[in-house]
Amino acid sequence: MTERETELLNVPPGAPHSNILSETGSYIIGLALALILTGVSFWVASTSVLWGPGVAVGLVVLAIAQMGVHLVFFLHITSGPDNTNNVLALAFGVLIVFLVMIGTIWIMAHMNANMGMSPELTNLQMQH
Amino acid sequence: MTTASEAPAIGLTHGGSEDTGLGHRGPESKSIVVPYGFWLFVLSDMVLFSALFASYATLAHATDGGPISNQLFDRNLVAIETIALLVSSFVCGLAMIAAKRANMIWTQGWLLVTGLLGFVFLSIELFEFAKMIGEGAGPQRSAFLSAFFTLVGCHGAHVTCGLLWIGTMMAQIWAKGFQPHIMRRLLCLSVFWHALDIIWVAIFTIVYLIGTLP
Amino acid sequence: MFGKLTWSAIPFDQPIPLITSIVMLLVIAAVAVWVWRNGWWPHIWNEYITSTDHKHIGIMYIVLALVMLVRGFADAIMMRAQQSLAVGASQGYLPPEHYNQIFSAHGTIMIFFMAMPIVIGMMNFVVPLQLGVRDVAFPTMNNVSFWLTASGALLVNVSLFVGEFARTGWLGFPPLSEKAFSPGVGVDYYLVALQISGVGTVLTAVNFVTTILKTRAPGMSYLRMPVFCWTALASNLIMLAAFPVLTVALAELMLDRYLGFHFFTNDGGGNSMLYMNLIWVWGHPEVYILVLPAFGIYSEVASTFSGKPLFGYRSMVFATLAICIISYMVWLHHFFTMGAGADINAVFGIASMIIGIPTGVKIYNWLFTMYGGRVRFTVPMYYLIGFMLTFVVGGLTGVLLAIPPVDFVVHNSLFLVAHFHQVIIGGVVFAVMAGYTYWFPKAFGFTLDERLGKAVFWCWFIGFHLAFMPLYVLGFWGATRRMQHIPDPTWQPWLNVAFVGAVIIGLGIVLTVVQLLYSIKTRDQRRDVTGDPWDGRTLEWLTLSPPPHYNFAVLPDVHGEEAYWTRKQTAIKQDQLIEEPDYQPIEMPVNSPTGIIVAFFASLCGFAIIWYIWWLAILGLIGAFAVFVWYAWRDEHEHIIPVEEVRANARERRRIRMEHLHELSQST
Repeated sequence: MTERETELLNVPPGAPHSNILSETGSYIIGLALALILTGVSFWVASTSVLWGPGVAVGLVVLAIAQMGVHLVFFLHITSGPDNTNNVLALAFGVLIVFLVMIGTIWIMAHMNANMGMSPELTNLQMQH
Repeated sequence: MTTASEAPAIGLTHGGSEDTGLGHRGPESKSIVVPYGFWLFVLSDMVLFSALFASYATLAHATDGGPISNQLFDRNLVAIETIALLVSSFVCGLAMIAAKRANMIWTQGWLLVTGLLGFVFLSIELFEFAKMIGEGAGPQRSAFLSAFFTLVGCHGAHVTCGLLWIGTMMAQIWAKGFQPHIMRRLLCLSVFWHALDIIWVAIFTIVYLIGTLP
Repeated sequence: MFGKLTWSAIPFDQPIPLITSIVMLLVIAAVAVWVWRNGWWPHIWNEYITSTDHKHIGIMYIVLALVMLVRGFADAIMMRAQQSLAVGASQGYLPPEHYNQIFSAHGTIMIFFMAMPIVIGMMNFVVPLQLGVRDVAFPTMNNVSFWLTASGALLVNVSLFVGEFARTGWLGFPPLSEKAFSPGVGVDYYLVALQISGVGTVLTAVNFVTTILKTRAPGMSYLRMPVFCWTALASNLIMLAAFPVLTVALAELMLDRYLGFHFFTNDGGGNSMLYMNLIWVWGHPEVYILVLPAFGIYSEVASTFSGKPLFGYRSMVFATLAICIISYMVWLHHFFTMGAGADINAVFGIASMIIGIPTGVKIYNWLFTMYGGRVRFTVPMYYLIGFMLTFVVGGLTGVLLAIPPVDFVVHNSLFLVAHFHQVIIGGVVFAVMAGYTYWFPKAFGFTLDERLGKAVFWCWFIGFHLAFMPLYVLGFWGATRRMQHIPDPTWQPWLNVAFVGAVIIGLGIVLTVVQLLYSIKTRDQRRDVTGDPWDGRTLEWLTLSPPPHYNFAVLPDVHGEEAYWTRKQTAIKQDQLIEEPDYQPIEMPVNSPTGIIVAFFASLCGFAIIWYIWWLAILGLIGAFAVFVWYAWRDEHEHIIPVEEVRANARERRRIRMEHLHELSQST
């Protein structure tokens, strides 16, 4: 294996390694896309053009897209064979984040619904 | 970022079998091991924020009759913060490009701009916090506000640590030049800084935009 | 000036903690003087305290854990005694506020400062050796991780004689743990100690996942790694993913207590159920952090002492990873009764039953490993068999508890207490005792006395069953956990049996110390000359005992599963070692006092936060940061071991191995 091949086989996360885009180009495209997505997010949140309940969903989709832009263009995480460990670690992290957030929200929503208490009853402060 | 002359991971003296065909070439070099370890730490930090987000989502409506998000958050300020942090991420990337070419002036320059933009972000955030506390909407007022201040404040604390780190790196680069271990640390710093921007995307979307929908 | 700290913090009016503290301080002082008089401090400073050698850091973890085992066990036997005495009219000898501190300290110490360090210590010692590399990925950070854990342990112990400990159990549930109901420093000791050691744990996780994924000997692909390394990987992945959630839960409670936030308070919109949820998101994966490496130890012991390769290697790996992922999907079973409703309870109940399946796969694999092998009944094999008998029953009670309607009857009863002690003792403690016996010769160059080892096993096995089987019965009869006074006198005989069991376990712990001292005294009779006392199958047995700091003169080339076994068999058949390799000088990381100094400032800062001494807390933080920058500024990271030394050590090893080889070839 040549040294170049060795170098390409395993890449540290965050290090630029693509031959297609110049390094600066990667950042410029990333910035442009992120600015656009940010702008659209702020617009979506303030306009009444979209159907109400869909706005939150749309914002989440835009946020995920922007996170993807950051990952690809700023952090240089791609799906190449040289990046497998980095992607696997990211996938594991995303799974845990998903479980923690969705699990907690689902459980706590049920808890609050079933075990809802009025503030007066729950004020168990000791009287000093 | 691997160079021919860079020493591999500690103690590797085994010269033979670069490619065994069946799997592993031996321990990876430090330039791969260190950033990978840091990437794992960043992912654990993401889990930390997910727990804070989960707390926030649970307590978002527990306002105890106190102020609610629509009354408190100024989207214009948030937009400025967002642009500041996003541009600082971009500029951090430029600093990395300059560092790879061992260009002292441009590296220090871009790092300084990164830090200044981060400082702008923090200043706006602190101003917002002070204003809210002054209006009686501090973290002690309700569970919703406790969760808000903790989530956003934790991100701000991370940004503060990042600024301290940027300052330290600028000093180290100045004193020691672009040695391999300094470059590894710069790479870790840039990963950290980009990750903070990713978390901010989640914060401004969930807390400030979705949180203030009519 | 000193915040809340006054002379009244010292328990002059409570004889038990007062006398214990004085005795402890005297013992520590005596040991320190004894070490000094023997001139050992420089050696301990260089070889252990500032060491970046994973083997010595592992030993320090295990020593810390064994010391904390004594403290945790002392708490346990006090609890058993109290429950045996305080029946009917008697109030026993421990008032409730004291008893509550004891069971809280027992759980906190046993999980965080005994089980975690001992498992992490085993992984520290063994994993780099089994992977065929010289050290972990981040050796100095490894040292820092240890000292941060020790800092947490220190704070918990300081609470015994300065102030008080938490009375809220090992998890500190609000609203009881909130300021309004626990205004003292006890809960703060608990929170601060765990936050400090939690940082150490996350750093360990980063270290080991990186090491296992990115640094292995040439030729060691993933499916050629020993199973212990797979379980270490899974355990550290869980650590990485779970501890941040613990950090958040404890931090939010700290914000409530210190700054008047309303995360979990009864007023202001707080929701104490949120704490339960978050803490158990951490709490369930935590027990898998402990048990997965234990399973790994059993795999090593099973194959070595059956003289056969492990049965079903791939299914073991798959089962390990399955447990790793599913462990994150069951946490609600710890609070079925809190009111999430039938739908959610059903989902988590089913998931909790599913997670038993991969463990069942493992049990069958170990059984099939033994089947058809030439089983040697050494002490580690005793623990393996004892584990299979004990843990399976514990797992069954677990599956029983996973059924929500059943759990509604026995939640938080002594049935639950019996279940989790059964799986932890049968699973983790037995494994750790097996691993301790198995790897002791590698660490110190001589084996432990076998007869005393078997006596220790029987004390644990018999003692455990006597101590906990009655608790299952009592749980069904309605006995809740954590009771300072027993209302029903018909329970007393069962509790007395349990007390006897605890005493027998205590005897086992004493015998462990006796075994160690006796083995040291008679070590020349049981020297491990060859480095391979058990006819092992994995790479750690390639080195002499103890290995040199750099482990291997040349990183071994791995050509198949069971790297060392195939190499050994080839050598025996050909009656010669492999060709002598080309030796090179070896770069190893330098020692560093960073760990202990950072831990010093962390302890100072932690103590200051607990007692509201704000100027000292800030000083501690600045100190820690300054040490960090000072460490980052150093230019010397490595020192070089000259090739002559490497060659001399290696040739000595080859000479010993050749002798051993001739013996083996003549006997086969």
